[in-house]
Amino acid sequence: MTEPAPLPLDPAAEPAPVPPLSGDRPDGYQVRLDVFEGPLDLLLFLIRKKKIDIHDIPIAAITRDYLEYLDRKTEISLDREAEFLFIAALLIYIKSQMLLPRETDLAEHEDPRRVLVDRLLEYQKVKAACSLLREREDVRILQWKRDFIPPLPGEGELEPVELSLFDLAESFFLMMKRRAADETRTIRGRDVSVEVKMKELVGLLHEKHMIDFLEYFEAHASLEEALISFFCILELVKSRVAVAVQDELFQTIRVWLRKDARRTVAHE
Amino acid sequence: MSSPLKNLVESLIFVSQEPLTLERIQAVCEGVPAEDILAAVEAIAADCAGDGRGIQLIRAGGGWLFTTKPAFDREVRRLLQIERKNRLSSAGLETLAAIAYRQPVTQSEVSAIRGVDSTGALKTLLEKKLIKIVGRKKAPGNPLVYRTSDEFLLYLGLDSLDELPSEDEIAKILQEEKAADA
Repeated sequence: MTEPAPLPLDPAAEPAPVPPLSGDRPDGYQVRLDVFEGPLDLLLFLIRKKKIDIHDIPIAAITRDYLEYLDRKTEISLDREAEFLFIAALLIYIKSQMLLPRETDLAEHEDPRRVLVDRLLEYQKVKAACSLLREREDVRILQWKRDFIPPLPGEGELEPVELSLFDLAESFFLMMKRRAADETRTIRGRDVSVEVKMKELVGLLHEKHMIDFLEYFEAHASLEEALISFFCILELVKSRVAVAVQDELFQTIRVWLRKDARRTVAHE
Repeated sequence: MSSPLKNLVESLIFVSQEPLTLERIQAVCEGVPAEDILAAVEAIAADCAGDGRGIQLIRAGGGWLFTTKPAFDREVRRLLQIERKNRLSSAGLETLAAIAYRQPVTQSEVSAIRGVDSTGALKTLLEKKLIKIVGRKKAPGNPLVYRTSDEFLLYLGLDSLDELPSEDEIAKILQEEKAADA
């Protein structure tokens, strides 16, 4: 045997690995100009490299370097290129402002470079903060805390997503729309108060442990009642009495009482 | 220090679903002065800091919680079947930092700070629940307004937003960079 045995083919490894850069497209990564996060990053790099005082940037020189850099890079996407070109245009505009003859000397705060300098300084601060935050992340990422996800009644291996109020509201309006399209009929009047409904809902949650968000609303006769129930659920989720969980995107939402809330609610 | 109070506080932190605050401990232990609770917490932290324990007490998001010690990261991940924990991308972190320092902010404000369109990064941060939408700005187009979430504090182990690196710390970093260049 002169040749090493071929590696066993792992079906999970198929298809052949994609070059990492192209996989990052949705984040706008693949378009990043070499190692730079953006045009400001590139500018700061040039300023550092040339040991230029950020408060006194020789615009002509830096613009030349900047454009040279852009020319060297051919693989920029249109979006990203626009961002880089925008700053290039800004640089040239600043230079033109500086060339204009003026009758009186500009006061310091009228320096045409000021707009750019302020942005660079702010961005520089964010970058520096990033390096500090990254250190914190590196520490924290190795520390694991216990995760409490309420057990799903009779569930498989789904990964539940805890929802925000916005997700809930979206589902609700989607459903109301569907209902509105479904039927047109006279709605009988019936007074429902939030308090009564809230008690009813908590009672139901106690009894059933879990309710299906969409099912629950579809069982309601009137729009008014459904709306009030919806407010109750929002209130319960907001006050952390109940928790709303969705197994996967676009699936139904289920609501149940938080374990620690069960006791307190029971006492009320 | 070994006292009933210390053991009680330890139990409370153990069962708590989120960082346990002093106020909540006080609400449970009626009439116990804050200093005693703080002393108990300190004693627990000191206990855990030694070699005798596999967990430690950290302070984040306004309260205390137990975490595993960094040394066991690999085995813990194996247990939880997590291949590797992803750090934020640099675009994500930059966006997060911009929001943390300038909040409440809109997407276009964040993008202006970074000089780069940040819509995608914002979306990712929202999905990770590190930031939240707190409303809309009364400005043309009523853009959404973002803030960092409690999850953000927990993620970076910050007690509160006051613990974000200060202007001085940032200035120091910049000084160091300058010195390194010179």
